[in-house]
Formats: sequence, C-alpha cells, structure tokens
Amino acid sequence: GNFLSDTWRASSQEETESDSKVSQALVRSFSTSARSHLENRVAEKQKLFQADNDLPVHLKGGGTDNALYRLTMTLTLGGTAYCLYCLGWASFPHKK
Amino acid sequence: MTHQTHAYHMVNPSPWPLTGAFSALLLTSGLVMWFHYNSFTILYIGLLTNMLTMYQWWRDIVREGTYQGHHTPIVQKGLRYGMILFIVSEIFFFAGFFWAFYHSSLVPTHDLGGCWPPTGITPLNPLEVPLLNTSVLLASGVSITWAHHSLMEGKRNSMNQALLITIILGVYFTALQTSEYLETSFSISDGIYGSTFFMATGFHGLHVIIGTSFLTVCLLRQFKFHFTSKHHFGFEAAAWYWHFVDVVWLFLYVSIYWWGS
Repeated sequence: GNFLSDTWRASSQEETESDSKVSQALVRSFSTSARSHLENRVAEKQKLFQADNDLPVHLKGGGTDNALYRLTMTLTLGGTAYCLYCLGWASFPHKK
Repeated sequence: MTHQTHAYHMVNPSPWPLTGAFSALLLTSGLVMWFHYNSFTILYIGLLTNMLTMYQWWRDIVREGTYQGHHTPIVQKGLRYGMILFIVSEIFFFAGFFWAFYHSSLVPTHDLGGCWPPTGITPLNPLEVPLLNTSVLLASGVSITWAHHSLMEGKRNSMNQALLITIILGVYFTALQTSEYLETSFSISDGIYGSTFFMATGFHGLHVIIGTSFLTVCLLRQFKFHFTSKHHFGFEAAAWYWHFVDVVWLFLYVSIYWWGS
C-alpha cells in the first residue's frame, strides 16, 4: 500500500542514482537486450500480489503455488498416516 | 471499506505451520525407523516435507514484505526481536555442549588417565587447519560488513561482490572442516573426548551450512532488487546469524582446539 510506494520506490531510485555514470549507461543499454532477467522486476510482482482477488498469499502467485501446495499436503498427510501405521506396528512384538 | 486502520500485519491463514509440525513428526519417527528397523521411507518423506514447508513459508514472507508492503517499521521491529530471541535460544543450545566439554575436561576422570586430552587421544594441531578455519570465518565477518555498508550506500556491484565473497568463505570453511573430519585419528565413539568434540563442532558445522544457505538466499534476493538501502531486514538477520556462527567458532577454537589440546 502507501508504505511500500513511499519507501521502496524512493529508495530504489536513490540506489540507481548513486551508481556511477558508467553503470547507469550499462543499465540503459541492457534494457532493450535479451538480458531482461537482470532488470528490476519488483513492480510487476507487487502488482501481482496486490491484485484484488481475495487469494491467500500462499496461493496468490498462480498455478505453481497450487501444485506445490497440493504436493506438500499430500506428502505430509500421507506420510503421517504411514508413520502412525509404522508406530502402531512397532508397538507390538513380532516373532523373528 | 475493509482495509486496516493500524500498522500491524494480520497474516492470511496458512497451511505451513501444520505441514511443518507434521514434518517434525515424520523426521523424528523417521529417525526411529532408521535406527531400529533400517527403514528410510519416513525419514525421506520427513526431509522432503520439511524442505517444502521452509521454502514455501519463507517465500510467503518475502511476498508479504517485499511485494505486499506489510513490513512497516513496527512489524520490522517485531521481526528484529524475533531474530534476536532466536539467536539467544541458539546461544543456550551451544552453552549445553560447552558445559559438557568443560565438565569432562576440567576434572578428567581416572579412566581417562586423569589428564586431558585423555590417554590415547591425539588431538588435531590447533595451528594447522583449525587456525586457517578461524581466519576464514573472521575474514567472512569483514566481507559481510563490507556488503552491508555497500548496501546502505547504494553501491550495488560492491554489495554483490562482498556477499558472494562471504558465501565462498563459508563454503570454504565447510570444505576444510569436512576434510579435517576425515583426517582425525579419533571418532565420535572414542570416549568423552570424541563425543564432546564431534557434538560441539558438528552442530557448529550444521549452523555454518544453515548460515551459508541464508546468505545465498539473500544474494538471490539482492540480484532480484528486493533490498533497498534503507530496508533490508532479511539481509541484516542473515548477517546477525553469520556473526553468531563466527563467535561460536571462536569459543570452539579457544576451548576445544587450543586449550583442550
């Protein structure tokens, strides 16, 4: 919200202004090249995660979030069920 | 109108505390199944769910702070208190291992030969690799301070270099210590000397690995422009943790490696 735009954007501009003129020229020359992964993309992320869609933060990033959540929960609950079965098995004597 | 009228952070409901708690159950039960029944399945699932929980929990905190702006000054104050209290709890954790070491080494029992190091134990020479390890960690303390000042002064290239150097030094320490572990003439089961040596230095080494991982995450975030010159608490937390790891080593070196030889 307001706190973010007041401090973050101002500080990030302050950062680039204190770079030397050489690195500023380099940044400008890269902006149209294929090296777009070196650019500052935080504003895009801010837009994505501040979208008014009532999604909780752990799912707000998109489809991968859902897949990862489902994987984690399945492994956790499945693993716990297997764990309780094993502990139940270990609680009784077994003839060797 | 449903927006908040205070500066605190009311987090969204999250599944990660639950998955984290269950992963702890799986890790501990997994150890039992490994130790007693030679079975690795539950341990592997525990490690996996633990890693998944940590990744997603901390990913969400980055989203809440950097992308959603929830880390106001008062929220950041709470995060600072939290990190400080966590490090204090870790200090107490190591205090236990140092207590055990001093308890056994200050009054060595008859069955050890009444001396420390005990009869039959050849300790590592403190002036060889252990001294190098000391210099590596001290240098990493300097480089991380350089990284912090560069960050605060807006010098992006310097910050990237200094943080990278810090991480490389951390990895170097771990590599050196691993080779030392393979070189010792004694093992963890060689009496109280072996136990205290490997428990104390072993947990320290684990903390070096954790600290190096934390610093690496900071480097990746720095590449993605997450930190500003005024607001970079994640980096500060990593730096505090790293200095703590360095200080623990200094105590280890003086107590176990130097006095203890």
